[in-house]
Amino acid sequence: MQGFGKISRRELLAGASAVGIASAPQANGQAPFSRPKIAAVTTTFFKYSHTQHIVDRFLEGYGWNGEYHRPPMDLVSLYVDQVGARDLSRDRARRFPSMKICPTIAEALTLGTGKLAVDGIVVVGEHGDYPRNEMGQTKYPRYEFFQEIFKVFRAGGRGVPVFNDKHLSWKWEWAKEIYDTSRELKFPLMAGSSLPVTWRTPSLEMPRDARCTEALCVCYGGVDSYDFHGLETIQCMVERRRGGETGVKSVTAYRGDAFWKACGEGVWPPDLMEAALCRSHMLTPAREGFNDILPTLSDMKRLVKDPVAYRYEHTDGLKSTLLLMSGLVKDFNFAARLDTGLFSTQMYLPMSDGRTTLATFFSPLVNGMERMFLTGKPTYPVERTLLTTGLTEAGVKSLHAKGARMETPHLAFAYRATPDSTFQRS
Amino acid sequence: MKRIAVVGTIYKYLSHVQHIADRFLVGYPTGGAWHRPDMKVVSLYVDQKPEGDLSGQRASEFGFQVYPTIAQALRCGGDKLSVDAVLIIAEHGDYPRNEKGQILYPRYEFFKACADVFEKDGRAVPVYNDKHLSWSFEKAQWMVAESKRQKFPLLTGSSLPVTWRLPELELPLGCEIEEALIVGNGGSDPMDYHALEAMQCMIERRKGGETGVKHVEMLEGDAVWKAAAAGRWSNQLLQSALSRSDTPQGFSLEDGRTQDLATNGQLPKLVKHPAAYLITHNDGLKTTLLMLTGAIQDFNFAARVKGMGVKSCQFFLSPVPNVTYSACLLSNIERMFETGKTPYPAERTLVVSGMLESCLTSRLQGGKLLETPHLKVRYQAPKESFRPV
Repeated sequence: MQGFGKISRRELLAGASAVGIASAPQANGQAPFSRPKIAAVTTTFFKYSHTQHIVDRFLEGYGWNGEYHRPPMDLVSLYVDQVGARDLSRDRARRFPSMKICPTIAEALTLGTGKLAVDGIVVVGEHGDYPRNEMGQTKYPRYEFFQEIFKVFRAGGRGVPVFNDKHLSWKWEWAKEIYDTSRELKFPLMAGSSLPVTWRTPSLEMPRDARCTEALCVCYGGVDSYDFHGLETIQCMVERRRGGETGVKSVTAYRGDAFWKACGEGVWPPDLMEAALCRSHMLTPAREGFNDILPTLSDMKRLVKDPVAYRYEHTDGLKSTLLLMSGLVKDFNFAARLDTGLFSTQMYLPMSDGRTTLATFFSPLVNGMERMFLTGKPTYPVERTLLTTGLTEAGVKSLHAKGARMETPHLAFAYRATPDSTFQRS
Repeated sequence: MKRIAVVGTIYKYLSHVQHIADRFLVGYPTGGAWHRPDMKVVSLYVDQKPEGDLSGQRASEFGFQVYPTIAQALRCGGDKLSVDAVLIIAEHGDYPRNEKGQILYPRYEFFKACADVFEKDGRAVPVYNDKHLSWSFEKAQWMVAESKRQKFPLLTGSSLPVTWRLPELELPLGCEIEEALIVGNGGSDPMDYHALEAMQCMIERRKGGETGVKHVEMLEGDAVWKAAAAGRWSNQLLQSALSRSDTPQGFSLEDGRTQDLATNGQLPKLVKHPAAYLITHNDGLKTTLLMLTGAIQDFNFAARVKGMGVKSCQFFLSPVPNVTYSACLLSNIERMFETGKTPYPAERTLVVSGMLESCLTSRLQGGKLLETPHLKVRYQAPKESFRPV
């Protein structure tokens, strides 16, 4: 397969090995159970930052499966790259003396012993003051964080499970290097967004092995930001199609007038777009005095100031489309054409933007990490996020090239979804 | 095409009339499609026209008449009943409260005016009555009896029983429920009604069905914390219900942290005016509504079920202005208008209307335990579930 690179199919399948989602092993007297030690390597820690949402769940626990769940592991060390005026890491370290703030990543991983001394690592490279490149990508230091982690792994000749929040890197080559290193050093790697694991309304799983010809997500937010979440929304569903994910051949991006022209010409299926919009709980009313009304194309043009589309061609013929329509919706809505008809749902994010206080979609994300830290097996395949990392970058590049179609031979790799659903539904 | 009359208190942006009637006019999202009912609103009665009234605008845009009386609306200005179904939506508007704090919405009066037309014209049509039947159980009971006497389908109640649940919990029909609890928030008597009805749609599925209410007791203020300390309800159920909340206040609002409100001692600090509605059913089941305004901003249910342990969920009230949960209600109303069959019994709303009134009477009497022999409402839950698709 063209562009398959160094990843062998066997390796990919191994990386995506199925993990049972049974409840975590407990210290029940059957076998001695020691609580894993976890390190968090983060950019910055303020209220409602990804770091706060994730780290606090390890420290404070969280509502899960109808109970207040306290993770059976200890977050023992924290590295924070930027400590700003709104910092909460010092407050948390005071309240939880078992968690030490470490001045370097190496220190967070070795705990003063000179060698790897933790059983799992959470990397949160979101938020903080980092420069943007000419394409508008924020150069979050995920790759740099991983380089420090790899030094410690290589020094001791072993690695431990790592979870990486969101995409692996803004740059494909770096993401691929992180992935390849995880295979070389044989440590479990998991990554991604909350979208694949949060509640769905309705609570539907994409049928496994269905034939799927078109898939689409209507969501909101900016380029090199929420586009990634929308792509994870699509990918966690289409990877379940017959034959599994086969990789992506090309992308074409649309923005502004080109978006509306493509939309009007039906470049992406209008019926899927409507199905997705009909799953929204936050559809801007197109007419004053109405609370919930289906917008026309001209309504959408009025409401959406900067529309963006990325349209991808997968190697098996599937076409998938991401629509960023800020001003029209404020949620993530998915639709697909299956051999059984239209299929749609919403990946529901209880956002802490005034609607909720907790952003509880971080709970299934953290629970997925916990399972990997306990079992040593990724809860879902990192290849999903390797692909969406590349899809995001490819979309941004096409956008930067004024919507030129881009071939993506580097993304033509295959992987299989887990047989079990890993989204929150209990 | 079925012809619909709308009988409402006010037609303003974000009023219940607007949420419900508009969906018949412009359609609504359901099952991943924009559905346009094959029905036409032909007449409207509104009791009050406050500033922001939309009745005239809607009538002219969608081609129906606003009539000065309910009878005229049902007869479309003629002398015989001229519609195939009636929506009664008596929520919002300027109405007085009684000494129990109940808003005296004219649901009974609206319903009676409709029933009178049915009687006089010798034909009755399906009626949807929004929310509770009446602030008075006696009146509510008459409404249900009248629908049976005149043999017209009556669908009642709020969106909570039919909205999304997080997770999609449905208790098995015939299960043995040992105790149930719901936490809610907001004012009385609109929001406590919603919470009680959400709990009722779950507990009615228990073995033997609903048997009616034996006695009620409503506590407020410190008496609530004392009752909690005395174990009047299960703290395990409270913890489970609160674990479903997306909106803990206090620390979570201050710095985003997660917290176990059931055990961290914050509830008395956050809830200035707690209320506990303690309800004992005739079959012995004890249920509790805790209104914890200030601690959370959503509705979360928990029950201990024999052989199943504790089961809990959030009743998801999706955001304003879409309030897509009312679209879930619409599809049930529309199905009832179409088929003449009610997807769930009006007795659910009847018993909830009655237990709420009795709780508020108990409150008026300083939290006295009130025997409620009049609430002998027996019914069986529907087999099918009517949650959104």
